[in-house]
Amino acid sequence: MQDVSYFAPTEVSQAVKLLAEHGKKATVLAGGTDVMPKINYYELKPEVLVYIGGLGLDYIKAEGGQLVIGAGTPIAKLLESDLVAKQAPSLVEAARQHSSVAIRSVGTIGGNVAHASPAADLVYPLMAMDAKLKLVSAKGERLVAIEAFFTGPGETILGADELLTEIQIPAAKGKAVYGKLGKRKAQACSIVIVGVRLELDGKVCRAARVALGSMAPTPLRCAKAEALLVGKTVDAALVAQAAAAAVGESSPIDDVRATAWYRRKAGTALVARALAQAAGL
Amino acid sequence: MKQILSFTLNGEQVDLVVKPTETLLDVLRERLNFTGMKRGCDDGDCGTCTVLINGEPVRSCLTLALTAAGKDVVTIEGVAKDGKLHPIQKAFMDNGAVQCGFCTPAMVLVAKALLDKNPHPTRHDVVYYMSGNLCRCGCYDEIVDAVLAVANGKVKEA
Repeated sequence: MQDVSYFAPTEVSQAVKLLAEHGKKATVLAGGTDVMPKINYYELKPEVLVYIGGLGLDYIKAEGGQLVIGAGTPIAKLLESDLVAKQAPSLVEAARQHSSVAIRSVGTIGGNVAHASPAADLVYPLMAMDAKLKLVSAKGERLVAIEAFFTGPGETILGADELLTEIQIPAAKGKAVYGKLGKRKAQACSIVIVGVRLELDGKVCRAARVALGSMAPTPLRCAKAEALLVGKTVDAALVAQAAAAAVGESSPIDDVRATAWYRRKAGTALVARALAQAAGL
Repeated sequence: MKQILSFTLNGEQVDLVVKPTETLLDVLRERLNFTGMKRGCDDGDCGTCTVLINGEPVRSCLTLALTAAGKDVVTIEGVAKDGKLHPIQKAFMDNGAVQCGFCTPAMVLVAKALLDKNPHPTRHDVVYYMSGNLCRCGCYDEIVDAVLAVANGKVKEA
């Protein structure tokens, strides 16, 4: 077997230096809950392991009205934070339904995003809330909108020399709702996930976000459904129309968890339910 | 590139040389002969390898051993003290919460983590907290009964 190197840097600057040096040979590991199954099942043969659990990226704070979460924050901490409960209750709900206690205790919010699974629970409330991701390399840093981050299943715009260090969530506007359908309540990978947010002026929609998951190769922002909602009075008929539009924009597949046919049916119901809840219907 | 790993196992300092790809479960079972924690799926789904790291339940099969450096690891071997069972272990016996026993060590540890944080959980709290640990014999009701028996002070000295 090939010799594997292991590094446990204690500063972001050291970590990105290692990434610059080893490039695609480096496997970044935080909680390990997504990386380790691949190593255990020989789907990934790491050459260089970079453990980022010691970088001090475990923090939740308010900064100029924004909610700022370190990428290394364990998912369990989202459930314990008053700040997250106040500013992003739909993110708390996603964390509550995520996997199981022994995964949430070490699995991180940054890992859930960077792993780029279309079934990643935390991505959808983050998309609905217009979250931004801070990507850091030895050359500098950039801030990108979360919907611009994903390029395919397990693929992102993150360079081999870059590290996701922080998630920034703008001050809450309107009401965000999260919904998930899995095969069972606990420890289920989703069949469909949805994150929505509506800003209402009376009953008239001023802004809408509809994000749909496990329904396309990447997490999907449903622009047509959003356009349909904006400027109109939100009622049950409009909600049903928007839900149908959202699912119309998706491209679900048959897989071990469900058929594409079922995903469309369930997805339409899930989006409609989330929008109705966000609109207080 | 082997490295030295030092951590605390059931209150005792352990130092050994490990390969970077060895998991904590590999080290516990194959190197240190602590076979209480079981290898079920190696994928994080079944929960039988769950240990406590700094008091939190963690899958030892998904933990690179080197990432446990400096941390406090508790396995089922560290739960009974001075030959006396922990009340949770006693409650599992009293409530018939054990059939084949494969899931039991991790069930006891996860129950311990729950009760250490929340000494008086509701039935729902117990089910939610322990839902990541599977029991193929189907003793779930008895397991939850056992945990609640400890919470309600119904377990006599072990």
